Amino acid sequence: MTWIGSSPVRPDADDKIRGRAMYAFDLAIDGMLFARVLRSPVPAGRIVSLDTRRARAMPGVRAVVTAADGPATLAGEFLIDTPLFAHESVRYVGEPIAAVAADTLEAANIAVAAIALDIASGPAVTTLDEALAPGAPLVHPDAATYATQYGLIIRCEGNLVAQLLVDPDGVNQAFAKAYQVVEDTIEGQRQYQGYLESRNAVATFTDERLEVHVGHQHSSALRERLAQFFALDVERIRIHGYTIGGGFGGKLEFGPEPYAAALSRAAGGRPVKLVFDRGEDLGIATCRENSRVRLRSAIDRAGNVLAREIDVLLDNGAYMMDQALSPSLAAYIGAANYQCGPLRARGGLVYTNTPPTGAMRGVTGVILTAALEKHVDHICRIVGRDRRAYRVERLVQDGYVTPSGQVLDDAHILADAFAAVEAKANWAEARARARVTPLRGIGIAAVMWCVNPSPGHVKLRMNASGRVELVTGANDNGSGPLATAIRQIVAEVLGISVFSIDVPALDTAASGYDGGSQGSRTTQVTGEAARCAALELRSQLARAVASQLGASVEQLTFSENQIVNAEQPLKRVTIIEAARQARVCGASLTAEATFATPPVACTPVSASGLLIPFFPTPTYHVHFGEVDVDPVTGNVYVRRYVVCQEVGRAINPREIYGQIQGAVAQGIGYALYESLRLREGHYVEQSLEAYRMPLALDIPRVEVITLEHPAMDGPFGAKGVGEPPIIPVPAVILNAIADAVGESFERLPITPQDVLAALYRQAP
Amino acid sequence: MSQKLTLRINGHATTLLDVAADATLLDVIRDRLHLKGTKEGCREGECGACTVLIDGAPVDSCLFNAHSAQEHDIETADSLKDVLANELAAALAKHGGTQCGFCTPGIFVVLVALLRRNADPTEQEVRRALDGNICRCTGYTQIIDAVLQVTDRSAGRSA
Repeated sequence: MTWIGSSPVRPDADDKIRGRAMYAFDLAIDGMLFARVLRSPVPAGRIVSLDTRRARAMPGVRAVVTAADGPATLAGEFLIDTPLFAHESVRYVGEPIAAVAADTLEAANIAVAAIALDIASGPAVTTLDEALAPGAPLVHPDAATYATQYGLIIRCEGNLVAQLLVDPDGVNQAFAKAYQVVEDTIEGQRQYQGYLESRNAVATFTDERLEVHVGHQHSSALRERLAQFFALDVERIRIHGYTIGGGFGGKLEFGPEPYAAALSRAAGGRPVKLVFDRGEDLGIATCRENSRVRLRSAIDRAGNVLAREIDVLLDNGAYMMDQALSPSLAAYIGAANYQCGPLRARGGLVYTNTPPTGAMRGVTGVILTAALEKHVDHICRIVGRDRRAYRVERLVQDGYVTPSGQVLDDAHILADAFAAVEAKANWAEARARARVTPLRGIGIAAVMWCVNPSPGHVKLRMNASGRVELVTGANDNGSGPLATAIRQIVAEVLGISVFSIDVPALDTAASGYDGGSQGSRTTQVTGEAARCAALELRSQLARAVASQLGASVEQLTFSENQIVNAEQPLKRVTIIEAARQARVCGASLTAEATFATPPVACTPVSASGLLIPFFPTPTYHVHFGEVDVDPVTGNVYVRRYVVCQEVGRAINPREIYGQIQGAVAQGIGYALYESLRLREGHYVEQSLEAYRMPLALDIPRVEVITLEHPAMDGPFGAKGVGEPPIIPVPAVILNAIADAVGESFERLPITPQDVLAALYRQAP
Repeated sequence: MSQKLTLRINGHATTLLDVAADATLLDVIRDRLHLKGTKEGCREGECGACTVLIDGAPVDSCLFNAHSAQEHDIETADSLKDVLANELAAALAKHGGTQCGFCTPGIFVVLVALLRRNADPTEQEVRRALDGNICRCTGYTQIIDAVLQVTDRSAGRSA
């Protein structure tokens, strides 16, 4: 292997370092207008009057749009419940009510302030408890009439939507004969994705054709959403991609794009740029949802789990973004990692009068894993077992059956991961150190996770120069799948240099469908499409030169920019010669391929509601952490952090290392600092000054171990990498702090006040 | 209130007419001089993406009045081409010190300023220098590894 397993310099690195990389944020088009959105100041209410006449008459104002400008359509990925602008009802603080485009941003700001809006505030439900209380006001009284996509049936009872119940036999019997029932709850907070490039877009909408310039994680979905909002054929919508200044799930749904589009149309097709300022971006980001998880386990005297119940409620906010399947992760994670009897899983999304939540890296797995691993520590305390020994004795084994009936034949990797962590960070030694060091604690946790299987498409074209253009609907959110991994895959197959491969900016007019930069999928799924396309290109070249080299197609090898007769290595041609010759022979030297992870046949289970149908490409990981607690300030310092990540096959070790470092930092942020707190529907944190993301002084150098168990359905065996390393982090930190202070915690983040309160309670 | 403004930026003096009295240095750099390499992340001095050097010292240009920058030497990420900056840029690229890249120009100028005044910083000194910059992608480790390589304190390891 020449390129697989190597870490060539990213071709975009120098441009990014020196500020030459082009983000949509930097885009200026002649004649471009600047936009601002008027948003709801209240969590619930009715629009009594909306008068835009003064704003329209102001100097420099080119367009003002509201719900009245239509069309009166709704949009949505799963449940079609979201209007472009609030019409009559407003459902959250920050909901768009009107938008203005003007010659300057200043003029747009002044005009927005001149819109006369009269809202009659109504009763709001802004917490899970308020929304689920008997007789609670309904966020969507008409929810039952909303259409769904993909033929999904999304049940709705009051404010509870997208429920799931998995209820196998034997749960009640096990609880009846339990030695003890152990119960734990944990509440998770909202986490802002915190990408450094706030959301922005430039749109040009003329003659029923819409062009959008944007750095978006899922251009194919964005196109469909815009088509819904404007009742437009998807073919009339073209997305031009740019370097993306971070995403982490926050740029998977629509953001500023449809508002810029509506304004452009109203302004006669002038380009309109809409940039969310940071407070606005933070206030309406489809952040990680706040959540409540309850676990109950029936255990025997040895601590074996005879049966378990998991209940999870996720705050959906006012409209459903990409969350419909999130509650069903409870059915997977509730019984993950360690052997456990039958699992009853109940989950649901809750409509509230708050900003809509959505995907953030690791989605609901983060809080579910924190709940599970906290619960396991609790069981260990009750039965007096060492926390690592208990886990290792009860790891799920090959043949483990998921709640959807899928058999995992590689679950033994979990044991390998525990052993690899042990070799680096010996548990007994760490425990001994923690015992003699005041207020030090250790934690260990695992996760089994999957890779989003959605399809990807790659088209390759080799030019007479021997260089290859790679056209795809996938994007690079910064994690490097296009900058590095997919180029390496193609280079390996064709025996050319990674630096001979160009990836032009995304353009949906030229590229195929792609499932988006989510769920760790790009390198694995779109990467496999790239490998297949490269194989086809390779056979076109081979056919063109085989007879000249006196070899059959199968006897040719491709390496170092040459095609060589493996039997007679002196017989060889350069790729450039071969490319020219292939053209003469009538080969297009263009190849394309599509790939999606094939579904796994599963046996039906006794489930009702929405359940993620299968667990594509399972991966297994273990994390270990050591913390010190400052008894005066309550601050927590992460002294040591070890990750063992299973990657299938490492395509680019440096980028994998980078994914793990960054994910652990975000996980520490979730465990200790970051929280978007709601007070009566308003966020307390409204700026980056208040919203505390980890800085260089907060984060340790993470020690990384990678395991390789090649996947059947990934290029060269690669499995997705991006999501798993954030998932166990809050679990590890929570358990380590609990170990240090002597009691556990029921909500994240664990603040200095929480730590001090625990120390006070535990004081002798 | 608008007035004339002469800035000495990246070694060139440029005079602009009609610059608002309260214009920030960031807006002048991005929107009047069209130097888009200096990024805007928060406009409140929290994220450091807009950092430039004023007389060699890192400054959040989003909080700095453009007129106050007259008579001072301003350097932006795009202009740093000396041997030290080039070594640092190469090391950042080699170690994976940039992912999405939006924070990177700000971090780059901060690190150039650090290395100019301290050729041999410790890891802790590098972390402290970065305390005004948010990077959401990297967890900072590979950025720090790059600096330590330039200063030959290769204590850190990167895959």
